[in-house]
Amino acid sequence: MRFIFPTTAVFFLTPLAALAGGEAEAAGLPLQAQAIWPGLPITNSMVMVWIAVALITLFCRAATKRMALVPAGFQNFAEWVVESLYDFLSSILGGYMVKKTFWFFGSIFLFILVSNLLGLIPGVGTIGRYNEHGHIVGFLRGGNADLNMTLAMALMFAVLWFYWAISENGVKGFLVHIFAPKGDFHGLMLMFMVPIFLAVGVLEVISIAIRPVALTFRLFGNIYGGEQTMDKLMELVPKSLAFLPALPFYFMELLVGFVQALVFMLLTAVFLRLICEHAGDEHH
Amino acid sequence: MISVLALVTESSQNPVAELCGKFGVNWPFFIASCLNFVLVIWVLKKFAFGPIQAMLEQRRERIAEGEDKLKAIEKQLAESEQTTAAAIAKASDDAMRMINEAKLGAAAFSEQKAQEAIAHAQQILVKAEAAAKADRERLSIELKREFGRLVAATAAQATGKILTADDQLRINETALTKVEA
Repeated sequence: MRFIFPTTAVFFLTPLAALAGGEAEAAGLPLQAQAIWPGLPITNSMVMVWIAVALITLFCRAATKRMALVPAGFQNFAEWVVESLYDFLSSILGGYMVKKTFWFFGSIFLFILVSNLLGLIPGVGTIGRYNEHGHIVGFLRGGNADLNMTLAMALMFAVLWFYWAISENGVKGFLVHIFAPKGDFHGLMLMFMVPIFLAVGVLEVISIAIRPVALTFRLFGNIYGGEQTMDKLMELVPKSLAFLPALPFYFMELLVGFVQALVFMLLTAVFLRLICEHAGDEHH
Repeated sequence: MISVLALVTESSQNPVAELCGKFGVNWPFFIASCLNFVLVIWVLKKFAFGPIQAMLEQRRERIAEGEDKLKAIEKQLAESEQTTAAAIAKASDDAMRMINEAKLGAAAFSEQKAQEAIAHAQQILVKAEAAAKADRERLSIELKREFGRLVAATAAQATGKILTADDQLRINETALTKVEA
Protein backbone atom coordinates (compact mmCIF):
# COMPACT_ATOMS: atom_id res chain seq x y z
CA MET A 1 0.00 0.00 0.00
CA ARG A 2 2.86 2.36 0.76
CA PHE A 3 3.92 2.26 -2.84
CA ILE A 4 0.53 1.96 -4.48
CA PHE A 5 -0.74 5.29 -3.17
CA PRO A 6 2.16 7.49 -4.28
CA THR A 7 2.47 5.69 -7.58
CA THR A 8 -1.23 6.08 -8.31
CA ALA A 9 -1.14 9.68 -7.21
CA VAL A 10 1.81 10.39 -9.49
CA PHE A 11 0.02 8.66 -12.34
CA PHE A 12 -3.02 10.88 -12.00
CA LEU A 13 -1.27 14.06 -10.98
CA THR A 14 1.44 14.08 -13.62
CA PRO A 15 -0.96 14.73 -16.53
CA LEU A 16 -2.60 17.38 -14.36
CA ALA A 17 0.74 19.00 -13.84
CA ALA A 18 1.55 18.69 -17.52
CA LEU A 19 -1.71 20.42 -18.36
CA ALA A 20 -0.80 23.11 -15.91
CA GLY A 21 2.61 23.23 -17.51
CA GLY A 22 0.98 24.06 -20.82
CA GLU A 23 0.04 27.38 -19.34
CA ALA A 24 3.36 27.65 -17.59
CA GLU A 25 4.50 30.49 -19.75
CA ALA A 26 1.82 32.60 -18.12
CA ALA A 27 1.86 31.28 -14.58
CA GLY A 28 3.40 28.62 -12.33
CA LEU A 29 6.67 26.83 -12.89
CA PRO A 30 7.98 27.38 -16.44
CA LEU A 31 8.90 24.33 -18.54
CA GLN A 32 12.38 25.73 -19.22
CA ALA A 33 15.08 26.47 -16.75
CA GLN A 34 15.46 30.26 -16.46
CA ALA A 35 18.54 32.45 -16.39
CA ILE A 36 19.12 33.49 -12.79
CA TRP A 37 19.55 37.05 -14.04
CA PRO A 38 18.60 38.47 -17.45
CA GLY A 39 21.53 38.23 -19.85
CA LEU A 40 23.52 35.85 -17.62
CA PRO A 41 24.15 32.47 -19.34
CA ILE A 42 23.62 30.57 -16.10
CA THR A 43 20.28 28.93 -15.42
CA ASN A 44 18.70 28.31 -12.02
CA SER A 45 18.84 24.52 -12.56
CA MET A 46 22.53 24.80 -13.43
CA VAL A 47 23.20 26.51 -10.09
CA MET A 48 21.29 23.73 -8.38
CA VAL A 49 23.44 21.11 -10.11
CA TRP A 50 26.60 22.92 -8.99
CA ILE A 51 25.28 22.95 -5.44
CA ALA A 52 24.60 19.22 -5.75
CA VAL A 53 28.13 18.65 -7.07
CA ALA A 54 29.56 20.73 -4.22
CA LEU A 55 27.56 18.85 -1.59
CA ILE A 56 28.52 15.48 -3.04
CA THR A 57 32.17 16.56 -3.13
CA LEU A 58 32.08 17.81 0.46
CA PHE A 59 30.38 14.66 1.70
CA CYS A 60 32.80 12.42 -0.18
CA ARG A 61 35.80 14.33 1.15
CA ALA A 62 34.44 14.18 4.69
CA ALA A 63 33.73 10.48 4.34
CA THR A 64 37.05 9.45 2.80
CA LYS A 65 39.57 11.92 4.20
CA ARG A 66 40.65 9.80 7.14
CA MET A 67 39.55 6.33 6.26
CA ALA A 68 39.93 3.62 8.88
CA LEU A 69 39.59 -0.13 8.72
CA VAL A 70 36.94 0.12 11.41
CA PRO A 71 34.53 2.67 9.90
CA ALA A 72 32.66 5.32 11.84
CA GLY A 73 30.49 8.36 11.12
CA PHE A 74 30.41 9.59 7.53
CA GLN A 75 32.73 6.83 6.37
CA ASN A 76 30.36 4.22 7.76
CA PHE A 77 27.37 5.79 6.00
CA ALA A 78 29.25 6.27 2.72
CA GLU A 79 30.48 2.69 2.79
CA TRP A 80 26.96 1.45 3.48
CA VAL A 81 25.61 3.45 0.51
CA VAL A 82 28.36 2.38 -1.89
CA GLU A 83 28.37 -1.27 -0.82
CA SER A 84 24.57 -1.54 -0.95
CA LEU A 85 24.51 0.04 -4.40
CA TYR A 86 27.32 -2.17 -5.61
CA ASP A 87 25.67 -5.36 -4.36
CA PHE A 88 22.30 -4.31 -5.79
CA LEU A 89 23.83 -3.55 -9.20
CA SER A 90 25.84 -6.73 -9.02
CA SER A 91 22.62 -8.72 -8.73
CA ILE A 92 21.42 -7.11 -11.97
CA LEU A 93 24.59 -6.81 -14.04
CA GLY A 94 26.66 -9.64 -12.63
CA GLY A 95 30.04 -9.40 -10.95
CA TYR A 96 32.01 -8.85 -14.14
CA MET A 97 29.96 -6.01 -15.65
CA VAL A 98 29.41 -4.21 -12.37
CA LYS A 99 33.16 -3.89 -11.88
CA LYS A 100 33.40 -2.10 -15.23
CA THR A 101 30.32 0.06 -14.99
CA PHE A 102 29.69 0.83 -11.31
CA TRP A 103 31.25 4.27 -11.58
CA PHE A 104 28.49 5.28 -14.02
CA PHE A 105 25.45 3.66 -12.41
CA GLY A 106 26.50 4.62 -8.88
CA SER A 107 27.06 8.21 -10.00
CA ILE A 108 23.78 8.43 -11.84
CA PHE A 109 21.79 7.17 -8.84
CA LEU A 110 23.48 9.39 -6.29
CA PHE A 111 23.40 12.46 -8.49
CA ILE A 112 19.72 12.10 -9.37
CA LEU A 113 18.82 11.38 -5.75
CA VAL A 114 20.75 14.36 -4.36
CA SER A 115 19.39 16.67 -7.08
CA ASN A 116 15.83 15.53 -6.50
CA LEU A 117 16.05 15.95 -2.74
CA LEU A 118 17.75 19.34 -3.04
CA GLY A 119 14.88 20.46 -5.26
CA LEU A 120 12.52 19.92 -2.32
CA ILE A 121 14.32 22.29 0.02
CA PRO A 122 11.92 25.14 0.88
CA GLY A 123 12.84 28.22 -1.13
CA VAL A 124 13.86 26.34 -4.24
CA GLY A 125 11.61 27.77 -6.97
CA THR A 126 9.93 30.18 -4.59
CA ILE A 127 12.76 32.57 -3.79
CA GLY A 128 13.79 34.58 -6.83
CA ARG A 129 13.03 37.62 -8.92
CA TYR A 130 9.89 38.74 -10.71
CA ASN A 131 9.95 38.40 -14.51
CA GLU A 132 8.34 40.69 -17.05
CA HIS A 133 5.02 38.88 -16.54
CA GLY A 134 5.14 39.56 -12.82
CA HIS A 135 5.81 35.95 -11.89
CA ILE A 136 8.58 34.70 -9.67
CA VAL A 137 11.60 33.16 -11.39
CA GLY A 138 13.35 31.14 -8.70
CA PHE A 139 17.06 31.56 -8.21
CA LEU A 140 17.14 27.81 -7.83
CA ARG A 141 15.30 25.05 -9.65
CA GLY A 142 15.48 21.26 -9.29
CA GLY A 143 18.38 19.95 -11.35
CA ASN A 144 16.24 17.30 -12.98
CA ALA A 145 13.39 19.72 -13.67
CA ASP A 146 15.54 20.84 -16.60
CA LEU A 147 15.31 18.74 -19.76
CA ASN A 148 18.93 19.62 -20.66
CA MET A 149 20.16 17.74 -17.59
CA THR A 150 18.02 14.64 -18.03
CA LEU A 151 18.80 14.57 -21.75
CA ALA A 152 22.53 14.87 -21.00
CA MET A 153 22.41 11.89 -18.67
CA ALA A 154 20.28 9.80 -21.03
CA LEU A 155 22.47 10.53 -24.06
CA MET A 156 25.66 9.86 -22.16
CA PHE A 157 24.22 6.53 -21.12
CA ALA A 158 23.25 5.82 -24.75
CA VAL A 159 26.83 6.47 -25.89
CA LEU A 160 28.27 4.34 -23.07
CA TRP A 161 25.70 1.64 -23.77
CA PHE A 162 26.94 1.37 -27.37
CA TYR A 163 30.55 1.35 -26.19
CA TRP A 164 30.00 -1.38 -23.59
CA ALA A 165 27.75 -3.40 -25.92
CA ILE A 166 30.30 -3.41 -28.74
CA SER A 167 33.35 -3.86 -26.49
CA GLU A 168 31.73 -6.89 -24.84
CA ASN A 169 30.05 -8.48 -27.88
CA GLY A 170 32.09 -7.15 -30.81
CA VAL A 171 30.33 -5.54 -33.78
CA LYS A 172 29.26 -8.91 -35.17
CA GLY A 173 28.06 -10.18 -31.80
CA PHE A 174 26.18 -6.94 -31.27
CA LEU A 175 24.33 -7.27 -34.60
CA VAL A 176 23.73 -10.97 -34.01
CA HIS A 177 22.31 -10.19 -30.60
CA ILE A 178 19.80 -7.82 -32.14
CA PHE A 179 18.86 -9.51 -35.42
CA ALA A 180 19.73 -13.21 -35.16
CA PRO A 181 17.05 -15.79 -34.27
CA LYS A 182 17.02 -16.67 -30.58
CA GLY A 183 16.60 -20.39 -29.99
CA ASP A 184 17.71 -23.62 -31.58
CA PHE A 185 16.19 -23.58 -35.06
CA HIS A 186 17.24 -25.73 -37.98
CA GLY A 187 16.32 -26.22 -41.63
CA LEU A 188 12.96 -24.94 -42.77
CA MET A 189 12.12 -23.58 -39.34
CA LEU A 190 15.28 -21.46 -39.40
CA MET A 191 14.38 -20.09 -42.84
CA PHE A 192 10.97 -19.21 -41.48
CA MET A 193 12.30 -17.59 -38.33
CA VAL A 194 15.03 -15.44 -39.95
CA PRO A 195 12.65 -12.81 -41.44
CA ILE A 196 10.62 -12.75 -38.26
CA PHE A 197 13.68 -12.07 -36.13
CA LEU A 198 14.91 -9.48 -38.63
CA ALA A 199 11.63 -7.65 -38.14
CA VAL A 200 12.01 -8.08 -34.38
CA GLY A 201 15.52 -6.65 -34.73
CA VAL A 202 14.14 -3.56 -36.47
CA LEU A 203 11.70 -3.13 -33.59
CA GLU A 204 14.59 -3.58 -31.18
CA VAL A 205 16.54 -0.83 -32.97
CA ILE A 206 13.53 1.48 -32.68
CA SER A 207 13.26 0.55 -29.00
CA ILE A 208 16.96 1.30 -28.48
CA ALA A 209 16.55 4.68 -30.21
CA ILE A 210 13.54 5.55 -28.05
CA ARG A 211 15.16 4.57 -24.74
CA PRO A 212 17.09 7.83 -24.20
CA VAL A 213 13.99 9.85 -25.03
CA ALA A 214 11.90 7.80 -22.58
CA LEU A 215 14.57 8.08 -19.87
CA THR A 216 14.82 11.84 -20.46
CA PHE A 217 11.11 12.61 -20.31
CA ARG A 218 10.29 10.13 -17.52
CA LEU A 219 12.68 11.76 -15.10
CA PHE A 220 11.96 15.29 -16.20
CA GLY A 221 8.18 14.71 -16.21
CA ASN A 222 8.12 13.24 -12.73
CA ILE A 223 10.26 15.90 -11.13
CA TYR A 224 8.80 18.83 -13.00
CA GLY A 225 5.29 17.42 -12.51
CA GLY A 226 5.85 17.08 -8.76
CA GLU A 227 7.11 20.63 -8.42
CA GLN A 228 4.30 21.97 -10.58
CA THR A 229 1.72 20.02 -8.58
CA MET A 230 2.92 21.48 -5.31
CA ASP A 231 3.13 24.93 -6.86
CA LYS A 232 -0.45 24.73 -8.08
CA LEU A 233 -1.73 23.26 -4.83
CA MET A 234 -0.19 26.17 -2.95
CA GLU A 235 -2.14 28.60 -5.13
CA LEU A 236 -5.45 26.97 -4.14
CA VAL A 237 -5.48 28.48 -0.63
CA PRO A 238 -4.64 31.83 0.92
CA LYS A 239 -0.91 32.53 1.08
CA SER A 240 -0.80 32.13 4.87
CA LEU A 241 -2.01 28.53 4.50
CA ALA A 242 -0.16 27.81 1.25
CA PHE A 243 2.06 25.17 2.88
CA LEU A 244 -0.92 23.05 3.97
CA PRO A 245 -2.25 21.43 0.76
CA ALA A 246 1.28 20.84 -0.51
CA LEU A 247 2.42 19.15 2.69
CA PRO A 248 1.20 15.58 1.96
CA PHE A 249 2.60 15.77 -1.54
CA TYR A 250 5.87 17.01 -0.13
CA PHE A 251 6.38 13.67 1.61
CA MET A 252 5.29 11.90 -1.54
CA GLU A 253 7.87 13.90 -3.52
CA LEU A 254 10.57 12.71 -1.13
CA LEU A 255 9.61 9.19 -2.12
CA VAL A 256 9.30 10.11 -5.80
CA GLY A 257 12.79 11.63 -5.70
CA PHE A 258 14.20 8.33 -4.47
CA VAL A 259 12.05 6.16 -6.72
CA GLN A 260 12.94 8.11 -9.85
CA ALA A 261 16.65 7.86 -9.08
CA LEU A 262 16.20 4.14 -8.59
CA VAL A 263 14.10 3.76 -11.76
CA PHE A 264 16.62 5.63 -13.91
CA MET A 265 19.50 3.55 -12.57
CA LEU A 266 17.55 0.29 -12.76
CA LEU A 267 16.39 0.84 -16.34
CA THR A 268 19.83 1.83 -17.58
CA ALA A 269 21.36 -1.17 -15.79
CA VAL A 270 18.74 -3.52 -17.22
CA PHE A 271 19.27 -2.15 -20.74
CA LEU A 272 22.96 -2.85 -20.41
CA ARG A 273 22.34 -6.28 -18.92
CA LEU A 274 20.09 -7.21 -21.84
CA ILE A 275 22.74 -6.42 -24.44
CA CYS A 276 25.70 -7.81 -22.46
CA GLU A 277 23.92 -10.91 -21.18
CA HIS A 278 26.01 -13.43 -23.12
CA ALA A 279 29.24 -11.50 -22.71
CA GLY A 280 28.75 -11.41 -18.95
CA ASP A 281 27.96 -15.13 -18.85
CA GLU A 282 31.13 -15.97 -20.80
CA HIS A 283 33.23 -13.97 -18.37
CA HIS A 284 31.61 -15.73 -15.43
CA MET B 1 20.22 11.80 -31.04
CA ILE B 2 22.88 14.51 -31.25
CA SER B 3 22.29 14.81 -34.99
CA VAL B 4 18.60 15.19 -34.22
CA LEU B 5 19.51 17.96 -31.82
CA ALA B 6 21.55 19.72 -34.50
CA LEU B 7 18.67 19.39 -36.91
CA VAL B 8 16.30 20.63 -34.29
CA THR B 9 18.20 23.81 -33.59
CA GLU B 10 18.56 24.59 -37.29
CA SER B 11 14.93 24.33 -38.21
CA SER B 12 12.18 25.70 -36.13
CA GLN B 13 9.71 24.23 -38.58
CA ASN B 14 10.61 20.82 -37.28
CA PRO B 15 8.12 19.61 -34.60
CA VAL B 16 11.02 18.17 -32.60
CA ALA B 17 12.70 21.57 -32.74
CA GLU B 18 9.54 23.18 -31.50
CA LEU B 19 9.36 20.64 -28.69
CA CYS B 20 12.99 21.27 -27.73
CA GLY B 21 12.41 25.00 -27.87
CA LYS B 22 9.36 24.63 -25.64
CA PHE B 23 11.37 22.65 -23.09
CA GLY B 24 14.34 24.98 -23.28
CA VAL B 25 16.77 22.44 -24.75
CA ASN B 26 19.68 24.15 -26.45
CA TRP B 27 23.32 23.37 -27.18
CA PRO B 28 25.10 25.55 -24.60
CA PHE B 29 22.93 24.37 -21.71
CA PHE B 30 23.01 20.80 -22.92
CA ILE B 31 26.83 20.80 -23.10
CA ALA B 32 26.99 22.53 -19.72
CA SER B 33 24.76 19.78 -18.30
CA CYS B 34 26.99 17.11 -19.85
CA LEU B 35 30.05 18.74 -18.27
CA ASN B 36 28.30 18.99 -14.92
CA PHE B 37 27.43 15.32 -15.04
CA VAL B 38 30.98 14.39 -16.05
CA LEU B 39 32.17 16.48 -13.09
CA VAL B 40 29.84 14.55 -10.78
CA ILE B 41 31.15 11.25 -12.12
CA TRP B 42 34.76 12.39 -11.71
CA VAL B 43 34.16 13.62 -8.15
CA LEU B 44 32.36 10.45 -7.11
CA LYS B 45 34.89 8.18 -8.78
CA LYS B 46 37.89 10.01 -7.32
CA PHE B 47 36.65 10.83 -3.83
CA ALA B 48 33.97 8.23 -3.12
CA PHE B 49 33.88 5.07 -5.17
CA GLY B 50 37.64 4.70 -5.56
CA PRO B 51 38.71 5.06 -1.92
CA ILE B 52 35.62 3.36 -0.52
CA GLN B 53 35.88 0.38 -2.84
CA ALA B 54 39.60 0.13 -2.12
CA MET B 55 38.82 0.19 1.61
CA LEU B 56 36.07 -2.42 1.19
CA GLU B 57 38.45 -4.59 -0.82
CA GLN B 58 41.17 -4.14 1.80
CA ARG B 59 38.70 -5.09 4.52
CA ARG B 60 37.50 -8.07 2.50
CA GLU B 61 41.11 -9.21 2.11
CA ARG B 62 41.73 -8.73 5.83
CA ILE B 63 38.62 -10.74 6.66
CA ALA B 64 39.62 -13.47 4.19
CA GLU B 65 43.13 -13.43 5.64
CA GLY B 66 41.65 -13.66 9.14
CA GLU B 67 39.44 -16.53 8.05
CA ASP B 68 42.45 -18.33 6.58
CA LYS B 69 44.39 -17.76 9.78
CA LEU B 70 41.44 -18.99 11.82
CA LYS B 71 41.25 -22.12 9.67
CA ALA B 72 45.00 -22.66 10.08
CA ILE B 73 44.69 -22.18 13.85
CA GLU B 74 41.74 -24.56 13.97
CA LYS B 75 43.74 -27.08 11.96
CA GLN B 76 46.73 -26.64 14.27
CA LEU B 77 44.46 -26.97 17.28
CA ALA B 78 42.93 -30.15 15.87
CA GLU B 79 46.41 -31.52 15.14
CA SER B 80 47.57 -30.47 18.59
CA GLU B 81 44.53 -32.14 20.15
CA GLN B 82 45.26 -35.28 18.17
CA THR B 83 48.92 -35.18 19.21
CA THR B 84 47.96 -34.55 22.82
CA ALA B 85 45.39 -37.35 22.73
CA ALA B 86 47.95 -39.69 21.21
CA ALA B 87 50.55 -38.67 23.80
CA ILE B 88 48.02 -39.13 26.60
CA ALA B 89 47.03 -42.52 25.19
CA LYS B 90 50.69 -43.52 24.91
CA ALA B 91 51.40 -42.26 28.42
CA SER B 92 48.37 -44.13 29.68
CA ASP B 93 49.53 -47.32 27.98
CA ASP B 94 53.03 -46.85 29.38
CA ALA B 95 51.63 -46.19 32.81
CA MET B 96 49.43 -49.30 32.63
CA ARG B 97 52.36 -51.33 31.43
CA MET B 98 54.53 -49.96 34.21
CA ILE B 99 51.83 -50.61 36.76
CA ASN B 100 51.41 -54.16 35.51
CA GLU B 101 55.14 -54.65 35.52
CA ALA B 102 55.31 -53.19 38.99
CA LYS B 103 52.48 -55.43 40.11
CA LEU B 104 54.20 -58.46 38.63
CA GLY B 105 57.53 -57.39 40.12
CA ALA B 106 55.92 -56.75 43.47
CA ALA B 107 54.20 -60.13 43.39
CA ALA B 108 57.46 -61.87 42.47
CA PHE B 109 59.35 -59.94 45.11
CA SER B 110 56.67 -60.66 47.67
CA GLU B 111 56.74 -64.35 46.76
CA GLN B 112 60.51 -64.36 46.93
CA LYS B 113 60.46 -62.64 50.31
CA ALA B 114 57.77 -65.00 51.54
CA GLN B 115 59.79 -67.95 50.39
CA GLU B 116 62.84 -66.50 52.02
CA ALA B 117 60.86 -65.91 55.20
CA ILE B 118 59.52 -69.45 55.10
CA ALA B 119 63.01 -70.81 54.51
CA HIS B 120 64.36 -68.67 57.28
CA ALA B 121 61.58 -69.76 59.60
CA GLN B 122 62.21 -73.36 58.71
CA GLN B 123 65.88 -72.88 59.40
CA ILE B 124 64.99 -71.32 62.74
CA LEU B 125 62.67 -74.24 63.48
CA VAL B 126 65.32 -76.76 62.54
CA LYS B 127 67.84 -74.93 64.65
CA ALA B 128 65.36 -74.69 67.49
CA GLU B 129 64.48 -78.32 67.19
CA ALA B 130 68.16 -79.25 67.08
CA ALA B 131 68.85 -77.06 70.07
CA ALA B 132 65.88 -78.51 71.90
CA LYS B 133 66.98 -82.02 71.03
CA ALA B 134 70.52 -81.28 72.16
CA ASP B 135 69.18 -79.75 75.39
CA ARG B 136 66.94 -82.71 75.94
CA GLU B 137 69.77 -85.11 75.33
CA ARG B 138 72.03 -83.13 77.57
CA LEU B 139 69.36 -83.00 80.27
CA SER B 140 68.64 -86.64 79.74
CA ILE B 141 72.30 -87.45 80.16
CA GLU B 142 72.54 -85.24 83.20
CA LEU B 143 69.31 -86.68 84.58
CA LYS B 144 70.49 -90.21 83.96
CA ARG B 145 73.77 -89.35 85.53
CA GLU B 146 72.05 -87.78 88.55
CA PHE B 147 69.50 -90.55 88.70
CA GLY B 148 72.24 -93.16 88.56
CA ARG B 149 74.15 -91.36 91.25
CA LEU B 150 71.05 -91.16 93.42
CA VAL B 151 70.15 -94.78 92.76
CA ALA B 152 73.73 -95.83 93.53
CA ALA B 153 73.77 -93.70 96.65
CA THR B 154 70.43 -95.04 97.74
CA ALA B 155 71.49 -98.59 97.01
CA ALA B 156 74.76 -98.05 98.87
CA GLN B 157 72.92 -96.70 101.91
CA ALA B 158 70.34 -99.48 101.75
CA THR B 159 72.84 -102.28 101.45
CA GLY B 160 75.50 -100.63 103.46
CA LYS B 161 78.25 -101.76 101.27
CA ILE B 162 80.50 -99.83 99.00
CA LEU B 163 79.50 -100.34 95.37
CA THR B 164 82.03 -100.87 92.66
CA ALA B 165 82.02 -99.05 89.39
CA ASP B 166 80.58 -102.10 87.68
CA ASP B 167 77.87 -102.39 90.28
CA GLN B 168 76.97 -98.77 89.93
CA LEU B 169 76.87 -99.11 86.17
CA ARG B 170 74.71 -102.21 86.32
CA ILE B 171 72.32 -100.67 88.92
CA ASN B 172 72.08 -97.46 86.81
CA GLU B 173 71.28 -99.32 83.62
CA THR B 174 68.71 -101.49 85.34
CA ALA B 175 67.08 -98.45 86.93
CA LEU B 176 67.14 -96.48 83.70
CA THR B 177 65.70 -99.39 81.74
CA LYS B 178 62.82 -99.58 84.19
CA VAL B 179 62.30 -95.77 84.18
CA GLU B 180 62.33 -95.57 80.43
CA ALA B 181 59.97 -98.51 80.14
